Amino acid sequence: MTCNEIKELTVPYLELDLEPSRVRDVTAHLDGCAGCRTEMETVRQVLVRVKGVAVPDPGDRFWNEFPGQVRRELARERPPIPSRLWKGISGWPMTLAASVLLLVGAWSLKGMLDQGPAPTPSQQRAVVQAPKARVDQPSAAEPDLPQLAEADWQEFWDEDPDMVLVDMASRLDRRTVDRLFRDI
Amino acid sequence: MAESDYQLLDRYGVGDEAAFEELVKRHQKTIYDLAYRMLENHADAADLAQRTFVQAFLHHQSFRRESSFRTWLYQIGMNLCRNAIRDRARRAHEDVDELPLADSRDILAEVAGAELQDLLGRAIRTLPTRQREALVLRVYHNHAFVEIGMIMSCSEGTAKANYHHAVDRLRRALVSGEG
Repeated sequence: MTCNEIKELTVPYLELDLEPSRVRDVTAHLDGCAGCRTEMETVRQVLVRVKGVAVPDPGDRFWNEFPGQVRRELARERPPIPSRLWKGISGWPMTLAASVLLLVGAWSLKGMLDQGPAPTPSQQRAVVQAPKARVDQPSAAEPDLPQLAEADWQEFWDEDPDMVLVDMASRLDRRTVDRLFRDI
Repeated sequence: MAESDYQLLDRYGVGDEAAFEELVKRHQKTIYDLAYRMLENHADAADLAQRTFVQAFLHHQSFRRESSFRTWLYQIGMNLCRNAIRDRARRAHEDVDELPLADSRDILAEVAGAELQDLLGRAIRTLPTRQREALVLRVYHNHAFVEIGMIMSCSEGTAKANYHHAVDRLRRALVSGEG
């Protein structure tokens, strides 16, 4: 081996990062070459001194507080991740609750539309005089209300909440739907 | 048996704060050491280590797990170090008066004042960034060159070359006293 080749292998030799056959070659060269031995020793000392440079320990208090600082900084960068609580109530129950609220809103809106303008005093008197007629004979303003009993709906809810919504929607005719969503 | 980083990361993904704490504690000293060796003062090192973890947890869902979590942290940390060094150089170029002075707890001050050690410190500081990265990862963090390549986003051969150039440069600096 030449001195230039040895120079290339100095660091791997010192770090035991050479194949055994190469190690034998380098060692044999060093035995007979004072210049390369000096060079090798210089590099070894450089590595030892570089390794000897220590980082001062900032102390236990710093290490104990560090995770909290990271957490605070992380919270500033983005909203907190979903907790187990939110994960527990998300998904289809939340969708169902939202659907029910929407449905109740729609029914309320329909009720208001069906009532029309506020009755005059004479109309109010007529209602007082004939309350039974309103119960037994649905007025023309509410011809398309679903006629399912509470128990029937309960059955649907128990089976598949989504199907309830589909079924209820299918029972509303086009005119009612247009009326319900006219102002939306 | 201790949980793996991947397992802790999975637990963190479903909101387990204890897993977050464990992951940070497990790697905080390593990342701080890396940052300190690259930036040479406590304030910058602490800030950079913190930002490394914040970035990692902010983007943990994009971590494809092709390397260890530790290597991924190294990659993030080293990128942030590189940017910080570049910003420092830019500021120094813009205003010489604001040249960053070595902290009183400078890395070399810890080693009792041998002139040779000061020389070595100056030589390390003036190493090109890539050579310095390879030196720090190899000498102080005992990484194999293949891993150094992953962290530095280069080939194993390039990582090796950078390291050898760094050592050679330090040797010449010490021999000639050129700093």
